Amino acid sequence: MGAYAMTSMINEEQRDCYQEITNVAMGQAADRLARLLNVYVILPIPKVNMISASELHMALADTTVNEDVSAVCQGFIGSGIAGEALLVFNDASFSDLAQLMNYKGPLDRHGELELLMDVSSVLIGACLHGIGEQLEISFNQGHPVVLGQHCHVDDLVKSGNHQWSQTLAIEIHYEIENVNINCDLLLLFTEDSVAKINQQVDYLLD
Amino acid sequence: MTNSSFEFAEMHWLMDVLQSIDVGLVILDRDYKIQLWNGFMENHSGLRPDEVHDKPLFESFHDIPETWFRQKAEPVFELKTRTFTIWEQRPYLFKFKNYRPITGRASTMYQNSSIIPLESIDGSVKHICLIIYDVTDIAVNQEDLTKANGHLAYLSQTDSLTELFNRGFWEEEFQREHKRCIRSQNPSCLVMFDIDHFKNVNDTYGHQAGDEVIRTLSSIVRQTARETDICGRYGGEEFAILLVDTDAAAATHFTERLRKKVAALTVNTDEHEINFTISSGIAEFSPNFKKHTQWIEATDKALYHAKENGRNKTTVFQNK
Repeated sequence: MGAYAMTSMINEEQRDCYQEITNVAMGQAADRLARLLNVYVILPIPKVNMISASELHMALADTTVNEDVSAVCQGFIGSGIAGEALLVFNDASFSDLAQLMNYKGPLDRHGELELLMDVSSVLIGACLHGIGEQLEISFNQGHPVVLGQHCHVDDLVKSGNHQWSQTLAIEIHYEIENVNINCDLLLLFTEDSVAKINQQVDYLLD
Repeated sequence: MTNSSFEFAEMHWLMDVLQSIDVGLVILDRDYKIQLWNGFMENHSGLRPDEVHDKPLFESFHDIPETWFRQKAEPVFELKTRTFTIWEQRPYLFKFKNYRPITGRASTMYQNSSIIPLESIDGSVKHICLIIYDVTDIAVNQEDLTKANGHLAYLSQTDSLTELFNRGFWEEEFQREHKRCIRSQNPSCLVMFDIDHFKNVNDTYGHQAGDEVIRTLSSIVRQTARETDICGRYGGEEFAILLVDTDAAAATHFTERLRKKVAALTVNTDEHEINFTISSGIAEFSPNFKKHTQWIEATDKALYHAKENGRNKTTVFQNK
């Protein structure tokens, strides 16, 4: 990525627009979850920021306080916009999650993997679909990859030799009413996608 | 773009591509009946499209657990989202043979799958497409890597002669348990023992015989200790065992049992029959042991006492 990418910074108006788009997408995702699981999902306002590689570690560390996590990531691409969705679960969430998802099997490493995959399919899929619909982009999604199970949040993303310096990060914290489930969805867009998204957003703003 | 906007030739090409692409494509209706079955599926399963057409998926393929698969597929119908399965969840959906039956090392094909919604003209999802990817090489490599890492970890933690923990790893584990003792205040005992007059064994019978003695002793240690006990080779002929959640009385019982077993034992080498004994020191955890090294020192003192008092003995450290 060259220095030209710095022109892809976002202004306040665009940031608000990103937030709004994410809000709508999250709303749709929450609605789908609600229909699938019969639960009420609490939605805070998503955080939208341009962050550097080192800040990604901090953003991840913010998601959990010294607790072990499990995480899945999935790449997406469409109309010149590319990125990754990262879903980070607090390990303490699994027993409640199993109950919620009506998962009957033993809650071992394998059982947790099933839950991780099922929930990430729905959450990431719904959110990307929602965003894509508003931006009029149909994203292709790669296969989900398990970044780690029961590991420290620092170990999720290997530091160093990143191919990028800046990323547009949309951070969404999901909580579900009355149950102990905490998870964070991070949508990370590549530097060179930002100009493209801005174009789409400006078009929407007009 | 609707199908009708394609030129006939393009349609024909696309159909050809779908038929011959090296990815499995299956279209299922709302009742999970197979509606489309491409060349990849036909060739790997040995079933022609007309043999599976309109047959329920679960009837034709018993390897796919119905409840499990429905859990992945229902959200696709209901929520119009894509879902995915990876080989770590289940190695395969369809039990196909490895694509490389000769040089491949797995007997079956590892598969990832995507399930995508197919919208009807009215916007509802009445069909889904199941896409099957062959990921055998990735899976086999990943499993090799995991195995190799496990083996490396074992090598770096284990003493090769005794197959007990080596000194470095034993001490790491011991330090962790020491911290846990400080928190929990549960009784735990450190036992250190060594072989009496081991130098004589080496001098008289040779180092091969000495190694055999150490190997035999460590195998008795492994048989006598519980799984939770932390056993290591501390030095040449010196061993250390942390008996977790064990008080001095129980530790004495354990150590005496070990001592008697050893005393009653004869090691047979090619030329010799060797008898040997061990002396042990025991120290129960005390809050006075602020550092783990103090605990080791106390145990060492008890061991020294056992040696001084005629060997083939067990001494418990007296905390004054």
